[in-house]
Amino acid sequence: MTGFIGGFVEGFVEVLVFGLQDGAIIAFVGLGIALVFKATRIINFGQGELGTVPAFAALLMMSSFDLDRTVSDSTFVLIVATLLAVALGAGLGVLMNVIVVRRLASASPVTSLVATAGVMLLLVAIQVIAFEPRGRSFPRFIDGKFGIPGFDVEMAWHTVVIIAVLAASAAALALFFRTPPGVALLATAQDPFAAELQGVPVARMRTLAWGAAGALGALGGVLGAGVFENLSPGLMTSTFLIPAFTGVVLGGITSMVGAVVGGLAIGFITNGANKLVAVFELDVPGPPFAATFVVLLLVLLFRPRGLFGQEA
Amino acid sequence: MTTTDQPTETHEQVEPPVAFEADEADWRPSREGVIARLVALGALVVVIVAIPHLVDDVYVNLVSRVAVYGIVALSMNVLVGYAGQVSLGHAAFFGVGAFGSAYGLAEMDVPWPAAVVLAAITGAVGAIVLGAVALRLQGLYLALVTISYGLFAERTMFNIRSLTGGGAGQEAPRPSFFESDVQYAYLCLGFLALALLFDWRLVSSRSGRSIQALRDDERVAASWGVNVTGYKLLAFIISGVLAGIAGALFASINQVAVAPDFGFSLSLTFLVMTVVGGIGNRWGVVLGGALFAVLPTLLDRAHENFHFFPFSIIEATWEPAIGALLLLLTLISFPGGLAQQLGPVLGWLQFRKFAVDHGDAGPATAGGGMGARP
Repeated sequence: MTGFIGGFVEGFVEVLVFGLQDGAIIAFVGLGIALVFKATRIINFGQGELGTVPAFAALLMMSSFDLDRTVSDSTFVLIVATLLAVALGAGLGVLMNVIVVRRLASASPVTSLVATAGVMLLLVAIQVIAFEPRGRSFPRFIDGKFGIPGFDVEMAWHTVVIIAVLAASAAALALFFRTPPGVALLATAQDPFAAELQGVPVARMRTLAWGAAGALGALGGVLGAGVFENLSPGLMTSTFLIPAFTGVVLGGITSMVGAVVGGLAIGFITNGANKLVAVFELDVPGPPFAATFVVLLLVLLFRPRGLFGQEA
Repeated sequence: MTTTDQPTETHEQVEPPVAFEADEADWRPSREGVIARLVALGALVVVIVAIPHLVDDVYVNLVSRVAVYGIVALSMNVLVGYAGQVSLGHAAFFGVGAFGSAYGLAEMDVPWPAAVVLAAITGAVGAIVLGAVALRLQGLYLALVTISYGLFAERTMFNIRSLTGGGAGQEAPRPSFFESDVQYAYLCLGFLALALLFDWRLVSSRSGRSIQALRDDERVAASWGVNVTGYKLLAFIISGVLAGIAGALFASINQVAVAPDFGFSLSLTFLVMTVVGGIGNRWGVVLGGALFAVLPTLLDRAHENFHFFPFSIIEATWEPAIGALLLLLTLISFPGGLAQQLGPVLGWLQFRKFAVDHGDAGPATAGGGMGARP
């Protein structure tokens, strides 16, 4: 493998490695969006901040409520903080449903979307007021990198951690949908009225979905801040929310498998676009944003139900 | 997908008690009432006309900004309030106009009025592209596309060096006949007045009614012979032209257009100010625009000059938080926005009774109200 072909393969592997890292976080955010959409038919603009706020809470706990102190490198402390963050994320999700979303039950889905955008704005604004608009270093579960055998490309151990947690979460969700409450949630998603007649507590199932989405968001937030090893107000919204929307639409908006596959695909596509522009020295600013927009348009115009969507 | 209570609402609005309707239609203010209203309106006009002279020199550009935000709010209102199409990427329409005008002024050396026409055209073209997409998509999907379009415009389109000057931005000098801040503020206010006039005529025209019919129910509109495709595109074009002109005016306030000025957060501000102002009501949205144009400065001044609670802690950085809270409050509890809160005053000024609105129906001045939530 020499010359052009070798360089091509090398570049391709590099895109795969970085695409996997970004794509897994996008998939995390996307899973939360898809779950909420499945249960309530609402697109949650606040999903990113259900990650950033718990991540800030975790950082506060690790630094004993003094963000300017350097955080200890102990993985154990990070795990404990993450668990608390996940609980907080779930609580935030439930609160968002109870305080804002449920009150707009009779409004159009777009009104609800605007309301969740308002929650996002509010959460980011509170972070800016409380923590100032600047970054703080954020720890990873496992530091360091390892070489991919045969290539001159290094992969961060953090990527492996993200993939493992993503796989575990996806498996837990898949298992959950086989338990009685999971089936009740699916029934709620399919036809709330019929489910209600069958004795499914629809409102409670929706709250459950919001809580689960908040927990997933918090996991994504802690892992996503680890990707940059840096946490700033509004981080998850500004970097991963729009790609996550696109990934969810690409995957088929109500499909959990679709959210993961779509998220990973968007990770590869955005990194691929970056690489293409760099290699061919094209004069295209912001390639990931252009690629995301084009993918969203193509999917919506030519295959609106996405890759795994069952209904239009 | 939406089995909301909206149909019943329109039903209620269709059949008010006959006597009540006749009473409302026949009511005329007494001679004293007419005089009082004329005096109030006259005073208002005098204040608005004098504002660029009344305020401190530092704030003259803020008056221009208020006028520009007012035009943007009217542009948002055409899409969200009249046509019922959501836009979460309006900063892109606005920016396309700003860079269109700046390109004309700096690269093609055209006179300022021609640059504004160029901005209107580029705004319309940008809107047609998104409108064509909107013909095939609805509701949530359109919302996602507008967000993504806004981000694409900010990060990609507005950074293409040959068109927008890249990071340094593009210069956008003011017209020679309106060079000083005060003169330019008058120019912006003049454009706002024109936009209001246009909006007023639009709503009472056949096109305006057709566009509003789309908002209420596309299928019913089609069955009455309304050209759904055409009028939806028309709504996008009108919105794009208004936003484009506003963008051209905005670029010349600071005399330079740079990409970060037309970002995602500005799109959200535009949405927030329109919703808080009162979707569907032209005076409401302009007030909302004015409020959000001055809010950061207002908070900053209050923080510096009032040394007591709550101003002692609230700083200009609180502006997004206040905006978001107002948005949520409006959506959940007061869907008619500022226009509904000021309904009696606005109605009185328009030679109607000073009366609090009954029931849920919002201010009826421009066919807005509850049915017109975004």
